[in-house]
Amino acid sequence: MPTDPSRPPAAASPIVIERTWAATPRELWDLWTTKEGFASWWGPQGFRADVHTLDAVPGGLLHYDMVADSPEMISAMQAAGQPTSHPVFARWGELVPCTRLTLVNTIDFLPGVPSYESVIQVELVDHGGRTTMRVTLSPMHVPEMSRMQAEGFESQLTKLEARFAAR
Amino acid sequence: MEIDPFLALADPTRRRIVEALRAGEQPVGLLVEQVGIAQSGVSRHLRILQEAGFVAARAEGQRRIYALRPEPFIELDAWLAHYRALWDERLDRFGQALLARRSQAPAPLPPKPEDPDAD
Repeated sequence: MPTDPSRPPAAASPIVIERTWAATPRELWDLWTTKEGFASWWGPQGFRADVHTLDAVPGGLLHYDMVADSPEMISAMQAAGQPTSHPVFARWGELVPCTRLTLVNTIDFLPGVPSYESVIQVELVDHGGRTTMRVTLSPMHVPEMSRMQAEGFESQLTKLEARFAAR
Repeated sequence: MEIDPFLALADPTRRRIVEALRAGEQPVGLLVEQVGIAQSGVSRHLRILQEAGFVAARAEGQRRIYALRPEPFIELDAWLAHYRALWDERLDRFGQALLARRSQAPAPLPPKPEDPDAD
């Protein structure tokens, strides 16, 4: 089934992922809306984000290069005849400081797939010294997943599982 | 023709049909009552759901009885779990980045001990 990366999945129930940290909403907000902050965690595993433009205003541009930066990933990309870096362009949607944001990605890099948009919605809930971040995705919003499948990312996820098990 | 499961479920009417079939197998007439569109429309959507593998049909006299097939739902679940794993890993790094920033600059609030249940 939908392991075919040439088809953008269209819709279904959204995926909601929630985490709580001992930090303020401002600290979490800055990790999304500053160049240094965003680059420090976005990844995904095996990649780094070289952020060129991050204009955190409604409609503002987010432009980064997704760069393979682990030896395994670089080899995997080269073996697959893929470039080890590709540019990603996204737009900020709603931005309510320290509360809520949306990030709209234009997915135009999947071979044979017409470009389409994906939205990541983030909500921050302040519990006084602790903050819950709720990330809402829907199955149509799967740029990395499609790429990961195309690039044989399964092995990376297997490593992650090993890492989690070791903690 | 094989239909992408996500495309099959992208249509709200088809999702209503799937919801109705969760109660058990049914003839098209009962589905029409629950879904609220004409039988021709329900039949068309059922055909698409069948082609995508979500629905199976069997004959019972003159009628066709429709039922859900579990396989594509299991596959969807596995696929979503896979994507969730990607974001779990991403949010692990998010948490590490929060800690790293705290260690580099004074935090706006006094640091509190990490709750072991935090993530």
